Amino acid sequence: MADQDPSPALLQWLKRTKLWKSIFRHDFSDTPRTRLQRIFGNVFLHLHPVRTPKDALRVTYTWGMGGLSFYAFLILVITGILLMFYYRPTTIHAFQDMKDLAYAVTLGGLLRNMHRWAAHLMVVVVILHMIRVFLTGAYKPPREYNWVVGVLLLVMTLFLSYTGYLLPWDQLALWAVTVGAQMAANTPVIGNEGPFRLPFITTANDARFGLIGGTIVGDATLIRFYVLHCVAVPFLFCVFLCVHLWRVRKDGFSKQTGEKVDVWPHLVSREFLAALLVTIILFVWSMALQAPLEELANLNVTPNPSKAPWYFVGLQELLVYFDPWIAGVALPGLIVAGLICIPYVDGNPKGIGRYPAMGWKRMGPLRLWYPTERPFAVSVFMLGVVLWFALIFVGYYCRGPNWEWYMPGELWSHRRITKLTLKNLPNLWGGLLLLGYLLEGTPMPKAVKARLIASKGPNAPARISALLHLGLGLVMSTALILPLVTAMDADFPVRSRYPTLFEALGRAPNAPVMSWLYRTVEGLGPALGTGLILACIGVLGAVLGILGLKFASFKDRMFDELGLVKYSIVIGLFLMMTGVLGKVMLRLLFGMKYLIAFPGLSFNI
Amino acid sequence: MKRLLFLAFTVILTVLFGVAVWQDSMREWTGYQRKFFHSLTRAERQGLTGGIKQVILTDLRRVDRCTTCHVAIDKPQLALAEEPFTAHPGTLLESHPPERFGCTVCHGGQGLATDTKAAHGEVKHWEQPLLRGPLVQSSCYKCHGDLRPIESRAPLLSQGITLYKQLGCAGCHSVHGFGQSVSVDLSEMGEKPWQLLDLTFVTGEENLSQWVEQHFKEPRRVTPGFRAHELPPGEEEIFPTFMPQYGLNDEQARALTVYMLSLKDEHLPASYVRPPGPPDPEPTYASPIEAGRAVFQKFGCAGCHGLDGIGGRRNWNAWLGDEVPSLIPVKQYYDRETLKEFIRHGRQPVPRSNPQRPNPPLYMPAWKDRIPDKQMDQLVEYVLSLGEPLPASQPSASQPPAAAPAATTQ
Repeated sequence: MADQDPSPALLQWLKRTKLWKSIFRHDFSDTPRTRLQRIFGNVFLHLHPVRTPKDALRVTYTWGMGGLSFYAFLILVITGILLMFYYRPTTIHAFQDMKDLAYAVTLGGLLRNMHRWAAHLMVVVVILHMIRVFLTGAYKPPREYNWVVGVLLLVMTLFLSYTGYLLPWDQLALWAVTVGAQMAANTPVIGNEGPFRLPFITTANDARFGLIGGTIVGDATLIRFYVLHCVAVPFLFCVFLCVHLWRVRKDGFSKQTGEKVDVWPHLVSREFLAALLVTIILFVWSMALQAPLEELANLNVTPNPSKAPWYFVGLQELLVYFDPWIAGVALPGLIVAGLICIPYVDGNPKGIGRYPAMGWKRMGPLRLWYPTERPFAVSVFMLGVVLWFALIFVGYYCRGPNWEWYMPGELWSHRRITKLTLKNLPNLWGGLLLLGYLLEGTPMPKAVKARLIASKGPNAPARISALLHLGLGLVMSTALILPLVTAMDADFPVRSRYPTLFEALGRAPNAPVMSWLYRTVEGLGPALGTGLILACIGVLGAVLGILGLKFASFKDRMFDELGLVKYSIVIGLFLMMTGVLGKVMLRLLFGMKYLIAFPGLSFNI
Repeated sequence: MKRLLFLAFTVILTVLFGVAVWQDSMREWTGYQRKFFHSLTRAERQGLTGGIKQVILTDLRRVDRCTTCHVAIDKPQLALAEEPFTAHPGTLLESHPPERFGCTVCHGGQGLATDTKAAHGEVKHWEQPLLRGPLVQSSCYKCHGDLRPIESRAPLLSQGITLYKQLGCAGCHSVHGFGQSVSVDLSEMGEKPWQLLDLTFVTGEENLSQWVEQHFKEPRRVTPGFRAHELPPGEEEIFPTFMPQYGLNDEQARALTVYMLSLKDEHLPASYVRPPGPPDPEPTYASPIEAGRAVFQKFGCAGCHGLDGIGGRRNWNAWLGDEVPSLIPVKQYYDRETLKEFIRHGRQPVPRSNPQRPNPPLYMPAWKDRIPDKQMDQLVEYVLSLGEPLPASQPSASQPPAAAPAATTQ
């Protein structure tokens, strides 16, 4: 509508009234001035800049994930407030209120479904947002601080979803929260079941008690989670969200190419359309799929299996491979710390505002689709993401009663009994294996190289590096295989029928490498068998050594660029991540339980 | 383009919202109410309103919305012949006014729900389905501590209680503190969480009453244990259940099921509960042996040792032929005092017939002083008399125990 438009006289009169002018402080003509005024004059739209580069608006660049996670939060706040009208956080009422919502409240079922599905959507969208920001290098200076705020928002998103999980007070809620709370009980030092527990820590004052407000999940937990879910965490979330959005505004958008366009209407209209589309998707989703509601919570009946909320099922799956304090406390803590560290240890100034270029790269017989820009950062981060979701997939779809392996879609049977044979490495050997693994991260700094060249000739650094890596590989493979074929089984004769680890694991159905080795050695006889075992040690050592050697020059370069502290952080986190993968392999292929085990201290790795 | 998209999205969203509201206003119960109101004349419709009806039972901690569809349940003058518009049959509602009792306290089901299937509780994650047919009798025991006045209304329940006593269930199971602890306590059997049941071998509907009934009829089919090939190598086998197969007929199994379902730990307000009546007068017995037989019956010895101690109940891997021993030869091995001592201390575990296999699951419990001295004397007298030649022929254990009541009057 232009200024001199032929709108009805009544409207023209209305526009001249004080009331109108006090609400709409600008006219609606499409001029550069009103476009500006719309953004400036509106407290909500003012989160946007007035003008922004055109390329920054492309959906293929942003995936729209930042805005959508904010919109998902908005939906959750609105549906959540409406749900609060119908909900009483006590154990005798909560479940009944869920039934009321489903059967008696007008559109109550839709409301609850929408809240539930939007919560899942928000977790997914926030994670995708993080992946996008990482891939486009948007965490690099000057946006490091905002990345940290973003990571904290991710943690809060998960915690919000987790606290909300309890509120329906059904079996699903109770036991998912119990699984999570039990991880808190395994916190080192302040958890009743964790390692290095302080002498005065009991079930009535440990970390789990702090989380659930009692020794069992009950009324106290319900009101605690309710307040956290509806007031405390959303409040904190809003504060951090303000900071997050404000920093986006102040630090500028990571994409700065293309001509500048007005945010009104170019960005605002896109946001509006995206929000509409997501609302439609959520609406259909909520009409088609009911939010789950199982039996009334019963502390005396544990469902088998009890699973954590899906985004924590990956950690629950890790419980198979690690002690609870590692899987439930140390690893998630390190993941969050590692994410926070990323902008501070990544000194590479390249790759801001664009996706890394990809290319085909030959690696031995393999052709890999590989980032040619920021190869290390991108591949390590994406490996972590894939690992996280792979673990979630396994935990959610492949685990049945007694946490036994089932193929997705396979019928669960409570009568299936599988007996796994799992053995610990003797502590000294396991310690040696772990030490060898950690030492694989050793770089050769420039200064050392120079000194070596000066004293031992130009080829000395390469020789020494080869010696170091091959030596470490050999140490690792010896520390793994030698005890497995020679050590006695500590469980014999009480819990094991065979006196040696080799026999016990070789006859077990769940250690394919060991049973292959056992059968082959048995067939070959003692002399040839010993030869085969030595060959295995040699081959595995060589493979591990050459793998380390491949990265040797990269490590050296990284060390020289980053310095000791940053390098240690990067290599530590990297080794931790691949170590998780390695431990999974050891368990699945070698029937390995722990490398180092001090059960008295609850310290098992 | 954007304007078009905006328009399309807005239209879709509006339509979706409309559909949601329409769906919500067309729930199943609205159809029933419309149908019912159409069947009424204008005069009959006076004073009736539509919408969700509910009985809020603060005392019973229940909210029953059943009358939303069962609109005429307490209005016989308006009722139709077709469900759900029928009136409550019989005169029970006079003594159990719906305003005070609601529906689900007797009939089970999900009072809060307003969809047929969910309200009848025949959906996943609801463990109190509608008690169809005679199963509803199991609810009488919640309040009526004394069943004698209402026996004609709850015949199956009474029969179940009688059978429980006759078969000697108390020898292994206890209910509210009476009975042995050889097997599970049945005091809360009626509200056993389904997640604790193995429904793998239950045919038909998978629920508690089916499990109980089929377990009464064919215990070893429902709980078959684990045979060697189902177990990983080296694992100790798990025997089938040691619950004896009593050869019950359908009615007997149903009656016992009704009794089991009635065993609940539901604390109803005192104003609802009728106290148990005075105990039956102690019958007089012609001889100590007859009195001993009653003791044998009361403490459930027959559960394992068979009616009149004939033996024959399966006890896996027990010496003397995988069975609970018959009591007929007792006289040849025990005198009065040693037999008393044996009953007081029991035998746990029973020696195995094959030492490679696990212990027999059944054992003779230690009765200690649970059997008072006088009754113990009578019991011993009776057990020792079993070896005496009797003029009448022994009843066989495999016969249906319906013949058993004759035992006390023999």
